[in-house]
Amino acid sequence: MPCERKPMRYGHSEGHTDVCFDDEGKCIVTCGSDGDVRIWESLDDDDPKSINVGEKVYSVALKNGKLVTAVSNNTVQIHTFPEGDPDGILTRFTTNANHVAFNASGSRVAAGSSDFLVKIVEVADSSQQKTLRGHDAPVLSVALDPSDEFLASSSCDGSVTVWSIESQTQVAQWKVLQKSSDVSNAKSLCRLAWQPRSGKLLAVPVDLTIQLYDKNTWTNVSTLSDELITQVFNVVVWSPCGKFLAAGTVGGNLLIWDVEAKLCIERQKHEKGFTVCGMAWHPSGGRIAYTDTEGCLGLLEDVSSASSTIQNTKATAVKETNDYDDLFDEDDDRMLDEGTTDSRSPVKKPIMDDDDDDDDLMPATGRPRNRGSFLDDDDNSQDPGSVKLDGLPEEDGSSAVLPAVGPAVSRPIYEGPMPSQPQRAFQPGSTPVHLMHRFMMWNSVGIVRGYNDDQDNAIDVEFHDTAIHHAMHLTNSLGHTMADLSQEAVLLACEGTDELASKIQCLHFSCWDTQKDWMVDLPKGEDVRALCLGQGWAAVATSTLMVRLFSIGGVQKEIFSLPGAVVCMAGHGEQLLVVYHRGTGFDGDQALGVQLLQLGRKRRQVIHGEPLPLSRKSYLAWMGFTGEGTPCCIDSEGVARMLNRTLGNTWAPVCNTRDTCKSKSDHCWVVGVHENPQQIRCIPCKGSRFPPTLPRPAVAVLPFNLPYCQTTTEKGQMEEQYWRSMLFHNHFGFLSSNDYEIDSEGQSQAEKEQQELLMKMFALSCKLEREFRCVELAELMTHSVVTLAIRYASRSRRMALAQRLSELALEKANQLQEEEQEEDDEPAYQRHTSREYRGSNKMSSRQAEVENGCEEEEEQEEYPQEEQMDAEESTETRKPCLNPFKKGGKSPERPSPKPVSREGRVNPFKVSGAEKSSSSPAGQPRTTNVLDSMTMASRKPATLSGTSKQGKAPVLKPLAPKPKSKTQATLLQMSASKASRKKQEDSQSGAEKIKPVPAATPPVSAENIENRKPKTGFQLWLEENRKSILTDNPDFEEMDIIKEGMGRFRILSAEERLNWTERAKGDSDPKKRKREDEAGQVDERMESDEGSAKKKKPLDASAKLSAFAFNKE
Amino acid sequence: MDPAEVEFLAEKEMVKIIPNFSLDKIYLIGGDLGPFNPGLPVEVPVWLALNLKQRQKCRIVPPEWMDTDKLEEIREQERKLETFTPIPSPYYMELTKLLLNHAADNIPKADEIRTLVKDIWDTRVAKLRLSADSFISQQEAHAQLDNLTLMEINTTRSFLLDSLNYMYKLRSNLQPGRSKDY
Repeated sequence: MPCERKPMRYGHSEGHTDVCFDDEGKCIVTCGSDGDVRIWESLDDDDPKSINVGEKVYSVALKNGKLVTAVSNNTVQIHTFPEGDPDGILTRFTTNANHVAFNASGSRVAAGSSDFLVKIVEVADSSQQKTLRGHDAPVLSVALDPSDEFLASSSCDGSVTVWSIESQTQVAQWKVLQKSSDVSNAKSLCRLAWQPRSGKLLAVPVDLTIQLYDKNTWTNVSTLSDELITQVFNVVVWSPCGKFLAAGTVGGNLLIWDVEAKLCIERQKHEKGFTVCGMAWHPSGGRIAYTDTEGCLGLLEDVSSASSTIQNTKATAVKETNDYDDLFDEDDDRMLDEGTTDSRSPVKKPIMDDDDDDDDLMPATGRPRNRGSFLDDDDNSQDPGSVKLDGLPEEDGSSAVLPAVGPAVSRPIYEGPMPSQPQRAFQPGSTPVHLMHRFMMWNSVGIVRGYNDDQDNAIDVEFHDTAIHHAMHLTNSLGHTMADLSQEAVLLACEGTDELASKIQCLHFSCWDTQKDWMVDLPKGEDVRALCLGQGWAAVATSTLMVRLFSIGGVQKEIFSLPGAVVCMAGHGEQLLVVYHRGTGFDGDQALGVQLLQLGRKRRQVIHGEPLPLSRKSYLAWMGFTGEGTPCCIDSEGVARMLNRTLGNTWAPVCNTRDTCKSKSDHCWVVGVHENPQQIRCIPCKGSRFPPTLPRPAVAVLPFNLPYCQTTTEKGQMEEQYWRSMLFHNHFGFLSSNDYEIDSEGQSQAEKEQQELLMKMFALSCKLEREFRCVELAELMTHSVVTLAIRYASRSRRMALAQRLSELALEKANQLQEEEQEEDDEPAYQRHTSREYRGSNKMSSRQAEVENGCEEEEEQEEYPQEEQMDAEESTETRKPCLNPFKKGGKSPERPSPKPVSREGRVNPFKVSGAEKSSSSPAGQPRTTNVLDSMTMASRKPATLSGTSKQGKAPVLKPLAPKPKSKTQATLLQMSASKASRKKQEDSQSGAEKIKPVPAATPPVSAENIENRKPKTGFQLWLEENRKSILTDNPDFEEMDIIKEGMGRFRILSAEERLNWTERAKGDSDPKKRKREDEAGQVDERMESDEGSAKKKKPLDASAKLSAFAFNKE
Repeated sequence: MDPAEVEFLAEKEMVKIIPNFSLDKIYLIGGDLGPFNPGLPVEVPVWLALNLKQRQKCRIVPPEWMDTDKLEEIREQERKLETFTPIPSPYYMELTKLLLNHAADNIPKADEIRTLVKDIWDTRVAKLRLSADSFISQQEAHAQLDNLTLMEINTTRSFLLDSLNYMYKLRSNLQPGRSKDY
């Protein structure tokens, strides 16, 4: 099984680097040419601890809490580990040292320098030094053998020398290397390595091979090489067990050999092929850390599992102890407040870690191993963890330092998912607590910054909108670490210490009396973990699993207990959102639960502690409300999820903020989410999870993007857009149900957009011949748009589809009526696409209605154009003239354009332009105008039926009449008064097949229409035969003539009738075209009516229509 | 054109600001601006940005190119090449002056930027003079003005045109046959 090469990450600035593990293997320690030593808790650690030790660091070695570095100021320094405090200078050279190395026990340090000298220094007493002279060029590398007898050194003079430490003399020398004048010119760093424990073999990288020299005979006993290697070996390291040898080349190759078998068991290549200049084997043997000359750090995982079976068992043995420790820890240190080693938590506290480590320096305790096992976390899948149930803690330490020799013992083994560390509580929108300068809160109201350095311990509060309050500067004498900010107050809190209780401080700046702040002490032993502010209240979650509510003025209100330790809280208006640990997560997952409470008047729990979905192996990174009050969460993988209130309070993924990041270590630090406009406000952070306070970070805005399938296709895109629009306009329903103001214009615009998208999708499916899909889409449409769809369908000659749609339309209309009846005397002015919040919108609809009444006048002006259309159409539709207000009220489509047209600007030119073409007299009675404008929208089905009747010669197509009658029935229903509706439906559906009574049409328009109307076969026939009928029955009225004519027409043979029909078709052809033009106009009008629209010219609208029509033949 | 006029033109350039007030879209002849959300960057013309800044209503986000690293690169490029290099903004000089004078506190390393832009300007103007000199001495009939900004053209225009006129006069005086006017 090949080992896993983790992607490289940035470690230091470009240049030479070195790497080692600490004794327990829980940290990776690197140094680089930027003069820093960095301590990484894992490869993914985004916030390594940095210790500056000089201008440039050439080499680093770590043992027994002593960090030895070779620095460019020609010294070899000691720092304590992991604190990083300087602990004196070990030795000096006349120029810089190139390599430092500890002996096995850590009592001595060897250093090789560019001044040709090698020094051996006692760590405890730096005055005891031994100097080895003999090299003729800078020393490249040094290595002390495990028995402390010999020292091996390699030098630019081309020699590898073994010295006797005691006598300070050369024991052996091999001139195997290429000579060079300086380290910078040397082909290879030639890092030497003694076999651990026995020290029997010395490994020397020589050109393209690794040569092994025997300690007893000082002869080359074997040579390791690989035919695939074309570049010089730079570094060589032994595995802690001494069985394997790893080497890195100048070309970035990494190889591992089984030394016994001389078998190359592993070949890896650096992802960019940079020179590997530092390698270190994890003390447990499972992984290798390496660094390159570009300052990057990499990790090979599962090295042991790649090796032979013997090694495998050994590795498992080591692992067992690890995992055992892990469990041990879980038992002991499960308490959240002690979970300091959780490097997954966004809030890290290395300083506290240090304290812990100090306490636990004894290798026997499980605690320090914790991090090591944490590093193992990722390879659980490949190497299932096992637990030694009856192991003694003492063994852990020893086995960690010196890997177990024997094979695994037959103990009962737990093979299963390992529990993950629960993440720590945090404030959403804050940066880690340990930083000296940090954001304590960044939200949509403002920024709270905390400074905690030598000079100053202060808090700065700054408001985005200075109208809320001016900026504040507070001295932070209490050591507050948590903050929240709202339009009314600043809430601060600190954890308790031994002497002082945990405190909550509130600066209630919007208070109208003179006492602007209040403070509350929590009971002894109770610490604040998270806090938040809402409107008029504050909430604090504590370490005793309690949530305490306060009024904003400082009155204590309800308290309640949480089922688990709090993770974070957020408030918005009257809503309180609490996230807590529901249980133990496994394999890196967190098990979080979420509660959403409605405070204020309607007190209730909206979400009852349901699990909060997160990505695999991620933790919660941000939690809060959108500006509109919808809960939203973002996990460490960058996936944003929003609560979908219309789908049973589920969480819908709405965006992956990592999509915009270029590199793996870049993140977006979210500061706010808004639904209208759709924005995620975040700060892009390069190479970290959070931004620094200086320079002041700039906010960027990300769009939402629902992870729908096939978003490269038009269909996928539109589906994504539609559902995004649906999701992001749920808040209208929520807001209005809570009696908040809503942006009715935005809402109607959103509805319009949704319907438009549906129509587009409809057209697309039509084009793809997917009629079933068309009907499915139509089911999502509002009634009025369905009629548009019917028209589209019939135009593109899909009669089956049109028929189904008209059935659907009928159904919808029925539904609409039923609902209206339910709502009784409350005329439903507005119809909403999503019925879930229909009831909730009553208020807004009522408002709109009132406004509407006032502005009838204005509307009248806007509709002259439609008047004409109405005049033309009304005969077609044969709608009985009914109470226009009622009709308007019922018209499902009216409401959406109306508020828009009212608030949008009216184009005065449009009116006059329309009037020019208008054939109807300007002085028409006002009521007619209103009526016309009102009927306008509900006339769409009529347009369809007109088209289907005339354009498609219904006599020939048996299907056509049916949709016609259906839609007309719908229309009539809609226009009929409620009481007579049912009856009318019955009678009309019967009457529909015969020509309806023209008396119903407005008189003015009737004439117009009569002329234009294309004639049917029967009409033609009637014209010719009228005379004969009249002569037969001179006393006939017009109606009687028609009746008689019908009777006679029916008597004619089928052929003859067909003939007439054909003639009628031919006859009406020119008219038909005209008719179609008109239809186009109507269409345009409707489009422009629907659109925000009065501004739009008809041309625009037709362009828009053509967008719908993907393929109009 | 005098420099003030060029500067006036430069004030039409868009710049990002972070307002600390809330305002809906405003509709101006030149186009709609906003909406202004406190804390959210929005693009406005320089004249408005400066006005708001003076009233302490916003912070100005320096343009992308107003960064020491980028300017240094441009300066090196400018010094290396014989010809004029493309400049990130056609109003770099004017914008630098305006923004640094009024909003130096919002621009990191304002002093360095001022020096760098001045260096670039000096280099370019020196080049311009040099090329004007060779233009005249070689008696060329036309010259390309690639990558020159309005301000730069403006500074040299009056001088160059006047001197060319003069020279023309002088030359035509030298050829007695043609100098009918004088």
